[in-house]
Amino acid sequence: MAYQRVLTQYINEPGSYTLDSYLKHQRGYEGLRKALTLKPGEIIDQVKASGLRGRGGAGFPTGMKWQFVLKDTPKPKYICCNADESEPGTFKDHVLMERNPHLLIEGCAIGCYAIGAKVAYIYIRGEFYHVQQILEAEIEKAYKAGYLGKNIFGSGFDCDVYVHRGAGAYEAGEETALIESLEGKRAQPRIKPPFPAVAGLYQCPTAVNNVETLCNVPLIIMNGPEWFSKLGPEKNGGPKLYCISGHVKKPGVYEAAMDTTLRELIYDERFAGGMMDERPMKAVIPGGSSVPLLLPDQLDIPASFDGVQKAGSLLGSAGLIVFNDSVCAVWLAMNLLHFYRHESCGKCTPCREGTDWLLKLLMRIERGEGQPKDLDLLFGVSNNIVGKTLCAFGDAAATPVLSTMKLFRDEYEAHIRAGACTLPAPWRAKHAMAGAH
Amino acid sequence: MDTVTLTIDGRPITVQKGKTVLQAALEAGISVPYYCYHPGISIDGSCRVCVVKIEKMPKLQTSCSTTCTDGMVVMTRDPEVVEARAGVFEFLLVNHPLDCPVCDKGGECPLQDFSYTFGPAESRMDFPRRVFDGEGVKADVDFGPTLMLNRNRCILCTRCVRFMKEIDADAQINIVDRGYGSEIATFQEQGVHTLISGNLMDVCPVGAITTRDYRFKSRPWDNPGVVDTICTLCSKGCNTSAWLKAKPEWARGSRLIRMTPRFNPDVNNYWMCDIGRFDYHWVEGETRLRRPMMRRGTALEPAAWHDVEPRLRDRIQEVVTADPTAVRFLVSAHASNEELFVVKQLVEGLLGADGIKAVSMTWTRSEKPQPAGTKFKVPATDAPNVNGARDLGYDVGQGNDGLPDLTALRTAVEGGRVKAVYVIDPGPQGSIGDVSWLIEARRNGTLPLLIVQGVVTTPLTDAADFVLPGAAYVEKDALYTNDQGRVQAASSAIAPPGEALEDWQILVNVARALGLTLPYTSSSDVRRALAAAMPGGPYADADKIGFAQPLPASSWLQASNPSERWKWDFFFQDLPPVKGHSVQTEGSAQALFIPLKPVG
Repeated sequence: MAYQRVLTQYINEPGSYTLDSYLKHQRGYEGLRKALTLKPGEIIDQVKASGLRGRGGAGFPTGMKWQFVLKDTPKPKYICCNADESEPGTFKDHVLMERNPHLLIEGCAIGCYAIGAKVAYIYIRGEFYHVQQILEAEIEKAYKAGYLGKNIFGSGFDCDVYVHRGAGAYEAGEETALIESLEGKRAQPRIKPPFPAVAGLYQCPTAVNNVETLCNVPLIIMNGPEWFSKLGPEKNGGPKLYCISGHVKKPGVYEAAMDTTLRELIYDERFAGGMMDERPMKAVIPGGSSVPLLLPDQLDIPASFDGVQKAGSLLGSAGLIVFNDSVCAVWLAMNLLHFYRHESCGKCTPCREGTDWLLKLLMRIERGEGQPKDLDLLFGVSNNIVGKTLCAFGDAAATPVLSTMKLFRDEYEAHIRAGACTLPAPWRAKHAMAGAH
Repeated sequence: MDTVTLTIDGRPITVQKGKTVLQAALEAGISVPYYCYHPGISIDGSCRVCVVKIEKMPKLQTSCSTTCTDGMVVMTRDPEVVEARAGVFEFLLVNHPLDCPVCDKGGECPLQDFSYTFGPAESRMDFPRRVFDGEGVKADVDFGPTLMLNRNRCILCTRCVRFMKEIDADAQINIVDRGYGSEIATFQEQGVHTLISGNLMDVCPVGAITTRDYRFKSRPWDNPGVVDTICTLCSKGCNTSAWLKAKPEWARGSRLIRMTPRFNPDVNNYWMCDIGRFDYHWVEGETRLRRPMMRRGTALEPAAWHDVEPRLRDRIQEVVTADPTAVRFLVSAHASNEELFVVKQLVEGLLGADGIKAVSMTWTRSEKPQPAGTKFKVPATDAPNVNGARDLGYDVGQGNDGLPDLTALRTAVEGGRVKAVYVIDPGPQGSIGDVSWLIEARRNGTLPLLIVQGVVTTPLTDAADFVLPGAAYVEKDALYTNDQGRVQAASSAIAPPGEALEDWQILVNVARALGLTLPYTSSSDVRRALAAAMPGGPYADADKIGFAQPLPASSWLQASNPSERWKWDFFFQDLPPVKGHSVQTEGSAQALFIPLKPVG
């Protein structure tokens, strides 16, 4: 049976972002109407029963997260929607917010009702300027139509949704850094515990959820948790957006259930349609730049949270970056480290100093000036970062180095032996490292 | 008190509930390094050197941010911890210049000390260090009127950022840029402008923030002594340490080199203000009074004590005999309790039982410009002992809440009814308030006799008939009663200069010359009498209060060995552990420095 898209079915139609289109095609705001007839606890139960896992990267069960939000507190509670989509190779939330914003708005409202919040903040990435304009215009329409604001559907439930655009920092996508940034401070992570569910935004209980996660909530309420959990393998249910980029014929965002294999996603005509210029594939990053690489012989696994983890990597944000044989592994690591060095917030010593050190080492090896001891050094420095930092950034930054060294150590050694890059690519600018991202 | 018991390195340790693992370890004398943690400001958890292994936790935890729980098992010497810690130290020194020999923090630098103890033997970094010095740019930049900032040395612990935000309540410092480009800075490079800026040098764990006052002036090993004392420049009475620098060999003795705060949770916590910290230069300044002086004709000439005393006696007795109400005393609230006690006995002996009415107390007030929410409020009253004067029976009006009322004295002096004024002024210049009327009265002859017992040359001493050189607050053991009513001890750190005497001694000598018997041969005699005269109150134990002796640097260094280390940590100054002593691998035969190896 062909998979029926639910999140992105209408995104290619003109005006798909409008309230009219949403009401016409997607039974707009029926989920919210139905949710308001339920008790908040019942909504959390349904979300738990559906097995919805956070789409931001960690795959933590959303129902559990909502349940952890302190119940008995005089403080206000908040939903923070993490729309700071900054992971290299990831662009799914962008599509959802740009082409189907009302699904997110409805998800925010249901989330607020479920945890007892009255306000949801959508923290949107600094570069998504036009998306913010669309979102704000559509939120305005939702207010006018009575889907947001005071006394929604006469239920007595009030909900406000605000869009806050960040200043452009990868680290602002970390949930506590996002909260700090929302409070007007530098986007740097906080010590956990306390977790945001206990003391988040303005020290009040807060749930931080990814855009795609919240977009799935109205679907669960409308179609029931069984429909959701049966879509895809066990514990990995529901529709999933895959962002496929790199050396493939048709890069883009594709929706599928999580029983689809990586091979299908890359080679199937329904998805990316195979390798560009029919060149052989060298490796794929399956979940955004922070996860280990997989080799071409590891593709016959379901592209699910558990499936990819079993293969030794992580689904993360489902940003598949596909590389063909023209890509030099050292250059690949260097390119990613350039990003991480630039984006490290600088709070923790190992990450602040380590990313720079790693980049310098990789640049030296790529230039052909590496020494044999540099390989041990790369390994040692990476391991001194992993697990020594407040947030997961440190681990993420060391991963490209550790992963490429594990899979392509021969290439590193060849660089050092030959005194030059062994895979010089004419299309690759020699001075790609100049300038900021 | 709720307590929890946990195990650190196999030792059961019971601490107050809510304490962190780092605090528990330090209290138990287990050395754990730290930079971003400071007991006086909030926890940041960013420097990562305090990592420890805790059973049942998947990753290494920062001990500064982990609260102790019952039954927690903590390891600070586990090989995994040792290796991780060494790794962080290697990162810290990637860009930190190794200019310890010329750095002001060298010798008392936590980064230096902890790196020796916990860091790797050598760095594997072979790229050039990041330096801020460049064409037209220096790493050393102005950081406000009192401070300098060396950006090369900064390790971005953000203690200064949090100090300004939380204690000063005016977040003037922050980090600009991010990640590798992070840099401590103030808005538009305006620098730090606050009354408590000197504390930033103390909170800085490296030589990045230094005070202009102490910078390049001394090194810890040049400071042979440190004396625990109190500051007397306002009514707060901050607990401080007076640091002494050895004079060159040809000039024996030592001189005051800096003042630093000493931890007292009830008074000043870990902090002190810039007034107390920087305004000590007058003590050994050019204007200090070193010899008694006496007016001969129109000139004020130096004289010996034994010549001054009989002449002084004659002049005072002349006035008292004619009219006992024509003698008045003007006493600064910088006078200690001992001095005020002796003054009281002097006036009662000289003028009769209500002789104390002839004494007017004086002090100054100035509202200090500070942010509204500051956690360290500097009081308006610029004198240490208004409350002591009140307790001893002097008229102080509204006390610390108001200014002294000298109109009655002034009217009497200007009306020619007063024939002699004895001024006791052991404070810095100006601390006695406006006395231009007194100088004018002496100049135009309305007042025939002016005696000034003081410490610095002022227009008042210039106008005086007798000048008696006394001792400043760091030159005598003395008690002061602060604005909370707390009786505190200021200890003698240096000797009074030249022929100057401690003020109680001058007063006793004057009293004896006048034929009164005050049986005191030391300031502790005075305190004994004070305690006996005022039983049952805060002065009942005045004779039992201990005074600090200058602590020699050698014992000071020994006192900072690791098992004693916590004491110094909590006494605010980060002091060095004994070099070469292995706390890393206590109880094992492992080498002191554990070289870094790749982790498998």
